[in-house]
Amino acid sequence: MIEQIRVKARELLESGQVNCFIGYEEGTRGRVRPAFIYEPDDVDRLIWDERCTYNLAIYLHQFKSPLKRGEEPPLVGILVKPCDSRSLNILLHEEQIDRERVYIVGLTCEGVKVDDQIQERCLRCEERFPLVYDFLVGEEPKAVGKEDYADVARLEGMSAQERLAFWVREFDRCILCYACRQACPACYCFECVAEQLDPLWMGIAIALPQKQFFHIMRAYHLAGRCSGCNACEEACPVGLPLSLLNRKIAKEVEALFGYRTGEDAETPPPLATFKKEEELPL
Amino acid sequence: MMTDFEPRIIGFLCRWCSYPGADLAGTSRIIYPPSLRIIRVPCSGRVDPLFVLKAFQEGADGVMVLGCHPGDCHYLEGNYHARRRYALMHRLLEYVGVEKERLLIEWVSSAEGGRFVELVKEFTAQVRELGPWGGRRID
Repeated sequence: MIEQIRVKARELLESGQVNCFIGYEEGTRGRVRPAFIYEPDDVDRLIWDERCTYNLAIYLHQFKSPLKRGEEPPLVGILVKPCDSRSLNILLHEEQIDRERVYIVGLTCEGVKVDDQIQERCLRCEERFPLVYDFLVGEEPKAVGKEDYADVARLEGMSAQERLAFWVREFDRCILCYACRQACPACYCFECVAEQLDPLWMGIAIALPQKQFFHIMRAYHLAGRCSGCNACEEACPVGLPLSLLNRKIAKEVEALFGYRTGEDAETPPPLATFKKEEELPL
Repeated sequence: MMTDFEPRIIGFLCRWCSYPGADLAGTSRIIYPPSLRIIRVPCSGRVDPLFVLKAFQEGADGVMVLGCHPGDCHYLEGNYHARRRYALMHRLLEYVGVEKERLLIEWVSSAEGGRFVELVKEFTAQVRELGPWGGRRID
């Protein structure tokens, strides 16, 4: 598979179809890191294996503007896993990336691992093919997971007091470092509500009310936009179970509006649209 | 539960239907609980869910969002957007431990002064039953 990727990347760079190819390379201490390949001779740095967890879609934001003033923005090639392709569809819908300027190399995927442990989100992942790509690499994979929202349902089964206690305990560990927001491909506002000073939305204290506000606000802003790539949870230094929040919303959005994030680049997210005749439990 | 607990309720009232509705209740001299603090907004679609979050963050015990009946929005579609937002917000708040009885979304027209009073009375009783919102406390 990796040979196919390298050949394709070389071909794209040599033909000038892309100026930069975003993929994965060997990092330090046996880990993988994102690679930005500008020269065809560097394509041998590219790798692809089950350690490649990162959602590369987030790096497309930095290619929206030209590298030098007066130039066109660069043409980019990018590797996407099936889960990342959902982020890509959302960004395409929100006109954050220009489909003409991005060449998408899709990967089939059987799940990725962190510390030799297959990720939980991969066990729940129901798809193995990207939803959007120009060129597909890989065979049809075997394993397909199943999303049953068991952990979300367990929390839903608690009483309001228990849930509040659970979330207060979790949110209180937050240090408001905003790593989750920085890692999120769907969080790209120039000025985040969390840091807005006029009006002072969230407040600048690092205290429980601010932490609660931040996480609920972020979860809500990602409603129908979160692709479930779990980059936020991986980035969190204190290990908050952010996927529990995001997946709850994904579940409700699907139940209420019959919408799943990033199926295509045309359908607007549920909170950006409405139907006149619909029965919603309020 | 404390019996003399008087909840603090923030109400976001749409300028075209619910606020005149509340006005009608006032000019008709109908008494309703003083627990409600009304904030007038141009439309229920203006009520960003962050307003609700902020109200809870600042210590409100309950929040009501009142708008025009669906189809009657002065801006044609504001309340349809509000309906979607709060259907989801309700469930999210419930999930993080804010009882769903603390958030009320209702439609009140400018002629429904009596209904407005009923809603405020019911909602106040409902929130009083739940007691103060304890989300800022760490056990």
